[in-house]
Amino acid sequence: MPEPESELSSRQVEHVARLARLGITPEEVLRYRDQLRNILHHIEALNRADTSKVPATAHPLEERNIMREDRREPSLPAEAALRNAPSRDDSYFKVKAIQE
Amino acid sequence: MKLFQRTIRDLHQMLVDREISSVELTAAVLDQIDAVGDKTKAYLLVTRELALRQAHAADERLRAKRDVRPLTGIPIALKDVLCVTDVASTAGSKILGGFTPPYSATVVERLEAEGAVFLGKTNCDEFAMGSSNENSGYWPVHNPWALDRVPGGSSGGSAAAVASGEAIAALGSDTGGSIRQPAALTGIVGMKPTYGRVSRYGLIAFASSLDQIGPMTRDVVDGALLLQAIAGHDPRDSTSSSRPVPDYLATLADGVKGMRLGVPKEYFVDGMEPAVEQSIRDAIRLLEQQGASIEEVSLPHSDVALPAYYIIAPAEASSNLARYDGTRYGFQAGGGRNIIEEYMLTRQQGFGAEVKRRIMLGTYALSSGYYDAYYLQAQKVRTLIIEDFKQAFKKVDALLGATSPTAAFELGAKTQDPVAMYLNDIITIPANLGNVCGISVPGGLVDGLPIGLQVIAPGFQEEVALRVAYAFEAATEFHNARSPLMGAAA
Repeated sequence: MPEPESELSSRQVEHVARLARLGITPEEVLRYRDQLRNILHHIEALNRADTSKVPATAHPLEERNIMREDRREPSLPAEAALRNAPSRDDSYFKVKAIQE
Repeated sequence: MKLFQRTIRDLHQMLVDREISSVELTAAVLDQIDAVGDKTKAYLLVTRELALRQAHAADERLRAKRDVRPLTGIPIALKDVLCVTDVASTAGSKILGGFTPPYSATVVERLEAEGAVFLGKTNCDEFAMGSSNENSGYWPVHNPWALDRVPGGSSGGSAAAVASGEAIAALGSDTGGSIRQPAALTGIVGMKPTYGRVSRYGLIAFASSLDQIGPMTRDVVDGALLLQAIAGHDPRDSTSSSRPVPDYLATLADGVKGMRLGVPKEYFVDGMEPAVEQSIRDAIRLLEQQGASIEEVSLPHSDVALPAYYIIAPAEASSNLARYDGTRYGFQAGGGRNIIEEYMLTRQQGFGAEVKRRIMLGTYALSSGYYDAYYLQAQKVRTLIIEDFKQAFKKVDALLGATSPTAAFELGAKTQDPVAMYLNDIITIPANLGNVCGISVPGGLVDGLPIGLQVIAPGFQEEVALRVAYAFEAATEFHNARSPLMGAAA
């Protein structure tokens, strides 16, 4: 496991931006790198807590297995769902080429 | 006193007595928006026609004495993260520019059923990420107490609207303090209910395990009334609790005599303004004089709550905000050669700097090789914070502290330093991670600026937090102070 202390590099910022599908300029790479380094530096404090015997909490719910009857209910009409689409073709969302 | 300066409870009585109509009241509030809206910039959208139509309908209901509810005819503002059918809802983001939701949030439907009047959508930090409202994708909000100051955030528009008379009450959302901190900074009451108490259906998501919708009001009674209207199970949100909702007004005035109130020593943080600390110490003494027993308690993991939050919330946000890709709704950049490029251009141009920062932080924390060190560790720390509260609440009924370490700061003072901005929420974040409820109530003025007393109660014991807050409010005049923009209460 990499040490979280290790300084975030510009390449890592570019990689993360790509994973997040965020376009980013070369100037922004540097700015975000420095800001994220500073934020991560403060987040290192997390390691002060001894969690060796502590389970993780993903959510605070007390309810489990929420079920409903398996019956058909009205759903959003297609026209309402498509109404906000920036580009559409008939009853489809229109997107740019997925494969070249 | 002018109509827009009054409380829900007062106005309800006047409406029921036919002393005023909802149309008159709504017009008075809309006039105040016209008069001071350019100064506060509290609204992103004022729904004048909708408000007047709803006010007419409320007047019909009042005239016929048909199903008159506490909120019937009361003008309310909605934070722009709440969807209203056919009303533009942007979450303060350019990426949702032009989006009109095809459905309403459950809280919106509940207020409609009460006969409330919707004034419009209030400004907020983009996707509720911020503590000053300066991250709005549209424009910053100004504090009605001092226009060169921030109103807090992210529900800064809702707070400023209530504090300036541009709404009688408002709804906000709180992921790490976004209701309580702006309430404190604008001298109003703001409550974050326990996670699961209020349905999140139709709330534009920021961090789904932390977000809660709550009331922002002039006083604690109004807070109880508004919470009563929105709380309860919703089959459309499987994370909403099926626990019964108590009658919050029934126990409001029971007082604090015999109650045990804890003061977490960790909540007097480094960097707290001495005058804020003094006000909070005075507030604690006052509650002691009211008959509460006060004891110091420890929440030993408070110092790691902020770092845990800044992993968990961005991680959840990075996942939630993946949906904004310019395909199904909102802004689309155009010009991409393929779908990936189009996504990247749309998100580059549509999101603001803070949202991008948090998406990248969250993506990094979840990415291969870093997950255990950051995300998993933060989730374990969350368990420790929950445990801290459980231990404390074995000894005391509720906890007391400041809401924010400082009063409102100047616009621009912290925009260059994300970490300094994050520190604003250092004493509100634990309640979100710890699955408890919290309320901020006006705690006095420091150099003419309001500060808040925070009361934290165990999960699903909103009535306890409200009762302590009301006891404090009833013994003080702080909640009667009005911002210069609202005018002195006569």
